[in-house]
Amino acid sequence: MIEPSLALYGDAFDQVETQVEDLLAATGVRYCLLVDRKGFVLSHKEALWAPRPPALDSVATLVASNAAATAALANMLGERTFSEQIHQGEQGAIYVESVGDVALLTLIFDSSVPLGRVKLHAKKTITVLSEIMRTLKEAPPIKFDADFGSNAVSMLDDLLG
Amino acid sequence: MSTINFAAREINCKIVYYGPGMSGKTTNLKQVFAKVPGHLRGEMVSLATEDERTLFFDFLPLDLGSVQGFKTRFHLYTVPGQVFYNASRKLILRGVDGIVFVADSAPNRLRANAESMRNLRENLLEHGIDVKEVPMILQINKRDLDGALSTEMIRAVIDPKHELQWHEAVADQGRGVFETLKTVSRLVLERLAKGQ
Ligand SMILES: Nc1nc2c(ncn2[C@@H]2O[C@H](COP(=O)(O)OP(=O)(O)OP(=O)(O)O)[C@@H](O)[C@H]2O)c(=O)[nH]1
Ligand SMILES: [Mg+2]
Repeated sequence: MIEPSLALYGDAFDQVETQVEDLLAATGVRYCLLVDRKGFVLSHKEALWAPRPPALDSVATLVASNAAATAALANMLGERTFSEQIHQGEQGAIYVESVGDVALLTLIFDSSVPLGRVKLHAKKTITVLSEIMRTLKEAPPIKFDADFGSNAVSMLDDLLG
Repeated sequence: MSTINFAAREINCKIVYYGPGMSGKTTNLKQVFAKVPGHLRGEMVSLATEDERTLFFDFLPLDLGSVQGFKTRFHLYTVPGQVFYNASRKLILRGVDGIVFVADSAPNRLRANAESMRNLRENLLEHGIDVKEVPMILQINKRDLDGALSTEMIRAVIDPKHELQWHEAVADQGRGVFETLKTVSRLVLERLAKGQ
């Protein structure tokens, strides 16, 4: 449909998880997320010492929408895109950078963490992630059982009455 | 197309509530938020103006449970209906898996309903999609209004060929809200099962 389906599985998924984990350790950030352009979380890691993260669904949605709005602005101004986004507050910051056309790498960290270090490591990770994403094959179609439809409907009945 | 995360065994679908300004899109999401048990839904995010008109979108994540070992999650969005927010509407349509078109029964909103549907078709086309490719259902809202337009008249301007399933609703009283959501969810899941 509108967006090519992005199916992370098997080796590619494991590699992405490792990259995100390594980036978390190298930078000292609180949370490290890979989000798709539709606003769904593909991978998430958090530092052991970090407090519980805010609602990740909401973070992912706002990051993706913000990126979409920024890209639309760039187009209006005749730019192909604007590069990374940084929002700095008093206590912390959020850094978002594109991973090709498919995903967004998002790092949330305390202001004690030097931004230069975050950027440096993030850019390295993005090079690797882009390569992994590039080699993603079309997802194998899921084989749903014959009763998938009726199962789905009864699930909806349970939930919505 | 839905994002399928095989490793985490998740199916993620995006449902967008579309329609003219003030037709009751945000009200639908508020009702779902209020009535679905807390452990099945996340926070509702609303990017709105001071006077509660949607500026960018409303967002509500729902966990529908597991089907065939896949955790099924729906992300519900509304668009801003006001005509001049079209740039935002286009962005929200990105990656849509199902649409609820919320029409307004107020007698002076017939044209607004028709124009919003045309705007939807145009915006989808800009993404390279024919409106017929997307599972869509029509909700005819505000049935409680004095002098409400007949459903026939509303369908005649929005869906003249009668291709869409439809529900009547009084969204601010919760009437028709779940029925609508259930129908669009079913359409989206059926389509998924067909492997499209
Ligand atoms: N009478 C009546 N009023 C309704 C109904 N549903 C919603 N409303 C009211 O209509 C007004 C607008 O509703 P919203 O849900 O904010 O409309 P919207 O479609 O999100 O509007 P935009 O964000 O501008 O696109 C609110 O005052 C609602 O309480 C209904 O079924 N009947
Ligand atoms: Mg609204």
